[in-house]
Amino acid sequence: MQLPFWPVLLVDLLGSALMIVFSILCVRLSFQLRSQDRENVVWTYLLMVSHALTAFAVSRGVGHIAKELLILGDRPDIWAALRPYSGSINTITFCVVGAVTLFFERIWRVYQQVLRDKEALQEAHEKLLFMNKHLEDLVLERTQELARSEGKYRRIFEVSRDMIAVVDAGGTLLDINPAGREMLGIPHHLTGRESALPDFGSFFARREDWDRLRERILRDCYVSDAEVDLVAADGREVNVLLSAASECEVSRKTEIFHFVVKDISQRKAMQQQLLQADKLASIGQLAAGIAHEINNPLGIILGYTQLLIREEPEGTERYEDLKTIERHSRTCKTIVEDLLSFSRRAHTKKETASLHETIEEVLSVVRHNLELDQIQVEKDFDPAVPLLVLDKDKMRQVFMNLIMNAKQAIGKDGWIRVETRFDPGRRQIRVAVRDNGCGIKPGDLPRIFDPFFTTKGTGEGTGLGLSVSYGIVKNHAGDILVESQVGEGSTFTVVLPVENEDEENAGT
Amino acid sequence: MKKGPTIFGRRKRFALFLGLLLVVVPRAVWATQVHAEPEGLYAHQLAHAFFLVSMGILVYWLRERHLTQHRGWRYLQYAAIFFILWNLDTMFVHHLEGREDLFLTFSKGTLQAALQPFPGREWLTWAFYLGKMDHLLCVPAILFLYLSLRELIRTGYRFPRSENG
Repeated sequence: MQLPFWPVLLVDLLGSALMIVFSILCVRLSFQLRSQDRENVVWTYLLMVSHALTAFAVSRGVGHIAKELLILGDRPDIWAALRPYSGSINTITFCVVGAVTLFFERIWRVYQQVLRDKEALQEAHEKLLFMNKHLEDLVLERTQELARSEGKYRRIFEVSRDMIAVVDAGGTLLDINPAGREMLGIPHHLTGRESALPDFGSFFARREDWDRLRERILRDCYVSDAEVDLVAADGREVNVLLSAASECEVSRKTEIFHFVVKDISQRKAMQQQLLQADKLASIGQLAAGIAHEINNPLGIILGYTQLLIREEPEGTERYEDLKTIERHSRTCKTIVEDLLSFSRRAHTKKETASLHETIEEVLSVVRHNLELDQIQVEKDFDPAVPLLVLDKDKMRQVFMNLIMNAKQAIGKDGWIRVETRFDPGRRQIRVAVRDNGCGIKPGDLPRIFDPFFTTKGTGEGTGLGLSVSYGIVKNHAGDILVESQVGEGSTFTVVLPVENEDEENAGT
Repeated sequence: MKKGPTIFGRRKRFALFLGLLLVVVPRAVWATQVHAEPEGLYAHQLAHAFFLVSMGILVYWLRERHLTQHRGWRYLQYAAIFFILWNLDTMFVHHLEGREDLFLTFSKGTLQAALQPFPGREWLTWAFYLGKMDHLLCVPAILFLYLSLRELIRTGYRFPRSENG
């Protein structure tokens, strides 16, 4: 059996030609593939593989074709010379193809890393875009929220009836709300920006209060409900309840104090009034008890003294002694009656009467006395004042006391003004007795209604006038108020309520 | 200013000339080791083996990465398999070419050339005869590579990102 060799030759020649053609086509496709995505290293790898295979196919194909043609062409000597080169190049191309192929794993890993990085970068980019967009919305939302919040707190700051102040640790007033400006008398054109606002510590009545307060805030970071006295720019003294907290301001490198200050002057005045009323009520109770116990024995002493005087002839030494006993007993009785009036235990006879007539009666009695001291009396009566149910005698005593006190405060040459006003809304009448006398010292003001308190010399007064007046007015469900400035004068105001039955008789 | 040839340039050109001389005129070289004739065949066979192994590893990687699910990569896998078969075939043929106990060759170097197996060597002679037509394996291999590239271009293949790299 013989095996013809020509099919082998045919396959060799055709196969070699096809190898060369397809390998070149593969290179072409690899270029196309790479051009689709130049950054793709896998395509670059395939291009390298294609190149290596082309080198292999060309070297082998050309070699085989040359071999067959040279042998068939009876030139085996040429082939013998070319053969070692062809074989060697073939061997090299195998190695190159194998080596290039083995790069796949590394190329693949690199590409995967590139993909991961790319993906991560894309993700980060998208996230950044999203965040950026979201951030804009968030910033917008936060800005609106801040604006709302700022507006809200600004309103609280502006409309608060209490002082809100921002002060640095040195005492420089940085900001203060309108209530604070009003409380301290700071003009509105002064602002903290030009540091034109006065030093906060300068408003303290006692500088050491400010120093102590500042020290406490720095130590404890807060102070609550400290009661201090402030003096406004116009000299007004204001009692305040003060709370403060500190905050470290990094930009200014200093502590900032936030103050909330409440004016408690009125409350303190009311407390003082309540205390006074309470004190007077206690004294009244005591005085009433004493007066009641003394009144009867005093009556007996006076009665028997009068009996003894009747039996004693006038002009004798014994008669004069008895007269002295009678006079002093009467003085004592007057005092006791005054005490009873003050304590509201005295018998009252209330009847419908005109307040203006009552005041006129008093003025007619004292007018001559006042004219002697060049004191002018001015009247300003409100015609709307109705008739009142009152104890005319007692009220006469009240106005007499007030006018005589005014006279004594003036001394000589001055004026006394008596005003009446009817307030239909509050259903009350106010009778004010003003004078331009010496005024009352602030320290004496809380004590002027105390029984036996007097600033007059011995023998000039018992110190019962105002306390009796107080008792009488209180007995009429009214009140008596006083305002006074030393050197400028005083105003005593009697406030009387108007009952329904009074109104029926309205008009003077 | 144009620069003249440097000393280094002259040395480089001299080395290139010497290299070419050694390649073009292969005569007795005073090397440290003599490379006798069988070395060429062994080197060639080893190159085939290296080619074969690299193709085997490529197949493994393609399958490991699940790339063969796509037709383009599947064709590349087929190309690699055909190259493996081709390498086995050629290694086998190169091995038999050196043997003189298999067949006689008549009219060598003509179109009438034919093989006459020695008695009892018919199967091996047949195997050698078929193995000599190795292009029946390497042409499909390069054809699959061509198809693979064409498919990858056609489908606009996009690589999936695998978690393990």
